[in-house]
Amino acid sequence: MHRMSRTAFKRSLTIRKWPITMIGEMNCPVCKNSAMVVLELDEVEVDYCFDCQGIWLDAGELELLLDGSHVANALLKSFRPCTDCSEEKRPCPICLKKMQKISAGSESEPIIIDSCKKAHGLWFDAGELQNVISKGSLDAGNKINKLLSDIFKEQ
Amino acid sequence: MWEQIRANKRNSILLLMLMAVVLGALGFVLGMAFVRHPAGGLFGVAGALVLWLILASISFSSGDQIFLAASKAVPVTKKVHPQLFNVVEEMSIASGLPMPKVYIINDPAPNAFATGRSPESASVAVTAGLLGKLNRDELQGVIAHEMAHILHRDILFVTIAGVMLGAIALMSQVFLRGMFYRSMMGGSRRRYSSNSSGGGQAQLVMLVIAIACAILAPIMASLLYFALSRRREYLADAGGARLTRYPEGLASALEKISQNTIPLESANKVTAPMYIANPLQKKGMKLSNLSSTHPPISERVKILRGMGGASLTDYSQAYQKFSSHKSSLTSVTALKSDEPVALRQGSAAGFVGRKKQARNVGDIMRKVNKYKFINCDCELKMKVPPDFKANAVKCPRCKTVHKVK
Amino acid sequence: MIAMLILLAIIVAVILAIVGIYNSLVRLRNQVDNSWSQIDVQLKRRHDLIPNLIETAKGYMQHERGTFEAITQARSQAMGAKGVAESGKAEGILGAALGKFMLTVEAYPDLKANQNFLALQEELSSTENKIAFARQSYNDQVLFLNNKTQMFPSNVIAGMFNFTKRDFFELENPEEKNVPQVKF
Repeated sequence: MHRMSRTAFKRSLTIRKWPITMIGEMNCPVCKNSAMVVLELDEVEVDYCFDCQGIWLDAGELELLLDGSHVANALLKSFRPCTDCSEEKRPCPICLKKMQKISAGSESEPIIIDSCKKAHGLWFDAGELQNVISKGSLDAGNKINKLLSDIFKEQ
Repeated sequence: MWEQIRANKRNSILLLMLMAVVLGALGFVLGMAFVRHPAGGLFGVAGALVLWLILASISFSSGDQIFLAASKAVPVTKKVHPQLFNVVEEMSIASGLPMPKVYIINDPAPNAFATGRSPESASVAVTAGLLGKLNRDELQGVIAHEMAHILHRDILFVTIAGVMLGAIALMSQVFLRGMFYRSMMGGSRRRYSSNSSGGGQAQLVMLVIAIACAILAPIMASLLYFALSRRREYLADAGGARLTRYPEGLASALEKISQNTIPLESANKVTAPMYIANPLQKKGMKLSNLSSTHPPISERVKILRGMGGASLTDYSQAYQKFSSHKSSLTSVTALKSDEPVALRQGSAAGFVGRKKQARNVGDIMRKVNKYKFINCDCELKMKVPPDFKANAVKCPRCKTVHKVK
Repeated sequence: MIAMLILLAIIVAVILAIVGIYNSLVRLRNQVDNSWSQIDVQLKRRHDLIPNLIETAKGYMQHERGTFEAITQARSQAMGAKGVAESGKAEGILGAALGKFMLTVEAYPDLKANQNFLALQEELSSTENKIAFARQSYNDQVLFLNNKTQMFPSNVIAGMFNFTKRDFFELENPEEKNVPQVKF
């Protein structure tokens, strides 16, 4: 009931003046009804599913991290849409609409991740994020990169 | 101050009377339209008066609860936000009023309001955005402003006016919708049966009522706006400055609030006059200064900053100097016993970065939503939602197992 | 007959007015007493907070033994003080010692990052505020009461029922006045 409404969240994205991550509960798009836990380290937050080890990176979080919406948008756009992916489509945990598959990494060994069509954020299945990081698709000096590898270094 | 309290009590009664007359007239028209006999009109009046009685008793007994629920305010304990609680307690001590109930609204737009029937049953609600954005002195300024509303008994009037207005707005909505569906159905029926004079008549009555209500609601709204508006806000600013002895706190808070561009999600036309700053105001709208429920913030800030002391007389003097309106507040603010009141030094305010602020707001909203916060020794923070199923979580960083329940 | 009725009405009105003024005097007197006891409540709260604060800070501030001793001593003196004047002086000294301590804390970033200490610091600075606001409120209420006992017609009733003027709360040493406003 007290969950921030979707329109409020969308507005916080479009106005870009007061970026705020999704407050209120989110369910894992893979496990459907397990609630995700927020992890915070060094003022960076990600949503994490303890059941499938998947990670949700919020658009608001991306924006906060990259200090400006255009950088975050550019990053999202830098991924190539995947046209012939057979992987099951997943709902965005925020708008519940089906996300599109995008491929990151090299042409020969692409890693398929999910991106909300309304740019609410990115979903990484277990291990995918580590793969993307190790393949250097994300900028090496990037703060998210460093942080995430720090959180999940043991896996 | 005493005069303001008396004026508010008088206005509350006046408003109730006015509502009785308006509803009675409406009931008479309705009764006459249906029965076409004076007895029908009287019956309508009786019905309207019963409705009025119900409305009045609702707004008296639980008007504040309706507002808090409509604003999606959640009651919180001291554990959720100790500073907020302390600041409210400080202001209740300074004003000599009992401690009000404290609510947080889950919204990133910074704002606050007070409601309740009497100082003994008052509530103060602030948004998560306000808590995230303001430092301690600024928060104190805002709470002092709300406490002054309670002290001046503004809250009863606003609550009664709000419930009455809300009920009328709701009724007009229901009638308008009803009329819309009736005309839809009537339209489709007409295709099959030509005899629809009875339906047409009821439709006409509905139409008249809907139009009456639709006209009445905005009139009531503007009445409410006028009665509430500027003077009350100025006086609450003055009272707040007197309570804290530190007008700069409120001035700086108002400035920060005015920089906000997100409208308050849970506010609407009915509840707008209750807030410390107009929650519906859009940035850069100069015209809104003329018709707004609230005086322009820039002016309020200028007056607060121009105060030579913290007494009501000081505010009144600054008001005359900086306000664009020629009217004076002296008649109301000049307390017979308003001794000079010295200003106080502010405490050092730490600067909080934009990211930190956003994180603060998020954390406050999560605390209100009963998230459990776990701080692992490896410095990873886990924020576990209330419907998390497992009994324990293993820190993904250092593998320590933490109990959740 | 009519004259009698009018007389009766006047008498009733006068009695009602006297009752009203008497009640408002009683209310004001209670408020003054209330504010006064609120000051005591907050001073006691400050005494209660100090041991916890020192316990938390000790581990981080090994070289500040003198500061802790000064606070502990000032605290026990304030707790043992009798009478308004003596207690006011002792509380002033305690406030000054705490203010000095808070300035020293600035040099210990580790302590300032400690969640437990931060919570205690908020409690303490809020208690300081509450002491100041309780005094302020006491003086406000005393002002209202004194005005009522001096102004006509309430002064007549105040005289009849023995409502006396109250003294304002004033710190003897003007320097101590600034103590509660030490920057935290």
